[in-house]
Amino acid sequence: MQKIPLSYAKPAMVLAKPVTRNDGTVLIGQDTELSNSIINRLERMDINEIVVQGEPVELDNDSAGGSFGKRLQRIDHLFRKHESDEWMQQLKQFLTEYFKSRTL
Amino acid sequence: MQDLQTEHKGQILAVKDLPTLPIVLDEISKLLEDENASPEQVAKIISRDQVLSAKVLKMVNSPIYGFPRRINTIQHAIVLLGLNVIRGLIISTSVFEIMTKSMIGLWEHSVGCAIACKILAKEIGFKEPEEFAVTGLLHDIGKVVISIQLPEIKNNIESEVETHDLTFFDAEKQQMGFAHDRVNAWLADHWNLPLTTREGIAYHHRPGSAQYYPDYAYVVHIGDFLARLMEVGSGGDDHLPYLKPEALNHFGLEFKNLENILDSYSEELLEVSGLSPTLDE
Repeated sequence: MQKIPLSYAKPAMVLAKPVTRNDGTVLIGQDTELSNSIINRLERMDINEIVVQGEPVELDNDSAGGSFGKRLQRIDHLFRKHESDEWMQQLKQFLTEYFKSRTL
Repeated sequence: MQDLQTEHKGQILAVKDLPTLPIVLDEISKLLEDENASPEQVAKIISRDQVLSAKVLKMVNSPIYGFPRRINTIQHAIVLLGLNVIRGLIISTSVFEIMTKSMIGLWEHSVGCAIACKILAKEIGFKEPEEFAVTGLLHDIGKVVISIQLPEIKNNIESEVETHDLTFFDAEKQQMGFAHDRVNAWLADHWNLPLTTREGIAYHHRPGSAQYYPDYAYVVHIGDFLARLMEVGSGGDDHLPYLKPEALNHFGLEFKNLENILDSYSEELLEVSGLSPTLDE
């Protein structure tokens, strides 16, 4: 899932979390598929960000947890001190598979 | 080398320069020793300081704890989280507050570690995930105090990390003869932190050495790894620490258990951006 500014919202994206007001009231439920009319409604309600399924948008400053695609890009760099350690390489392999599975 | 270490220890613990903790902490510590003290009494003391109360309420209502309903009073917070957790929160926000601007990355890393520790503790089945969370929040507090007390050495550490691609931990050892984990132990004694927290923060780099509460040391060891894996804030370098195999074994965890943990973790991280130790946002 990915948190995106509403300006990036496009029809056919699916909400991974409900859109709520500050007091917790649900405005639009989880799993709702976005349409132009829903996006317009959200704009009128001054909603700035939504959380959608998958990772449909490439953001420059992705919040850390938000982007598994970014994790895949970083994993070689992060593990660079452990290249000759068998256990850490197994862990890296597992994490790579995990991040891949979550970007689909 | 030994003399230099002793000298550095003295400088780090030079009380007159140590970040001043709110006076109410002294009173709370005294009450903690009194078996008959009630949450009402403690709540009264904290509530006298309105700024502190607001900060505590902000933290207990943050995604670090993730309570479904808003906690509106200090007394309710104490009943839900326990005094140790509230005390730890006050210490960490007070110490970090001084350094907000220059150490915001370390604060975010600490919050990231706190959330990872909470999720791990829940997944493993511990009854007090909040205690593990506050230990995670405090796990790098020694780095903050080093930078306050020994600013020149902190600069040297940072430039060693930069120029020689060292881990922050190795650069600390090179520059001081010891690292922040040792400072954590001194601070835990100085501030009378509970032994669970002391072991968690003093042994998160070598959890096998924790004598009394290895669970805390192992949870923080894994939590720190996860926060660095997701690059939540910055622990001072962009290396992944070695995840000790025995840390997973200690709790009977396998790689596949990390999937659930990382799923919950990444979901919670979506909520956490912008949580600062001060009130202004």
